Amino acid sequence: MNKFFATRKRPILFSFVFLVIGFILAFSYRTFEKTSKQEQVAPSTFEAEETYREKLITQQEKNRELSDEISVKREDVRAYEQSFSTQEEEHVHLVEEAKELRLLLGIVPTKGQGLRVTLSDAEYDPVEQNPNDYIVHESHIFKVMNELKIAGAQGIAINGQRITENSYIKCTGPVITIDDKTFPAPFVVEAIGDMDILHESLHLKGGVVDRLLLDNIVVTTEQVKNLQFPALGEESEE
Amino acid sequence: MMWLPLLGLILGVTLGLLSDIQIPQIYSNYLSIAILAALDSLFGGMRASLQQVYDDKIFITGFFFNIVLAIGLAFLGVHLGLDLYLAAIFAFGIRLFQNIAIIRRILLTKWANRKKNQE
Repeated sequence: MNKFFATRKRPILFSFVFLVIGFILAFSYRTFEKTSKQEQVAPSTFEAEETYREKLITQQEKNRELSDEISVKREDVRAYEQSFSTQEEEHVHLVEEAKELRLLLGIVPTKGQGLRVTLSDAEYDPVEQNPNDYIVHESHIFKVMNELKIAGAQGIAINGQRITENSYIKCTGPVITIDDKTFPAPFVVEAIGDMDILHESLHLKGGVVDRLLLDNIVVTTEQVKNLQFPALGEESEE
Repeated sequence: MMWLPLLGLILGVTLGLLSDIQIPQIYSNYLSIAILAALDSLFGGMRASLQQVYDDKIFITGFFFNIVLAIGLAFLGVHLGLDLYLAAIFAFGIRLFQNIAIIRRILLTKWANRKKNQE
């Protein structure tokens, strides 16, 4: 080797050659390091973009599913509301029906226009031997009551005692017993309803009032604008 | 006198690492070809010296001309849209391996001869 570099020119020549090689090597090393770094960055951004895109796609799919769910839920809610409104209507009907039924049962106090019919025993008549012929019987009250009901009375009370579907009226001598309560004459039959209709229905020719008069009963009818019935069981004791 | 080329190598590496010159990425191919050409010339020179046919002028001209030719070929290739640098890499790569193989064989023969002489 020493022989090879024995001449004077050769070492300078080779040092120059090696300088060039070293320079190129170092320079390319530096450049490639940089570019490789850039290349590392580039795929990473690409991958990041890809992952973001995938995330976006999954997010969009999720959004779509959720919006579908929302529409389904909305449909449900609408159906619910619809059924609810129909139920509400039914409910209103039911409430009205219940109110009417309660009126019939007489468990709520009521008031309104109506007719007051007073049935009184006739004055003592010495001609009549039988006092049964001139006192008010429960049948007379039944007649009045039935006529009033047929005429559309919504509630009936006798001497302040509400008459319901379950009421009973019993003749016990000169007095009558309504639902275990005894009432003497005169009997005041009150009915809530259209007072004109009730009045007309009682005063039909050959109707209830005529027949009662035939039985020597004093009948007075009075149209009352503001009748008030207590609830069943809350009657003021008379 | 052995340390002078080594000094040159160190100086070149330092210069290359410290230089602030930036080259575009598409020209990085040129650099690799230049390296290949330089190494090919170097090993060619080693082989020539071992085969006793070494000549300074041939070595130096071959060294620089190969580098310039390889870079020119690559440059032409880039501008023509052809991967001409592959031709340079192919040629220089084959020659590099051939030269190294020849050097190895010569060294092996020398080593074997020396062993025989010792015996």
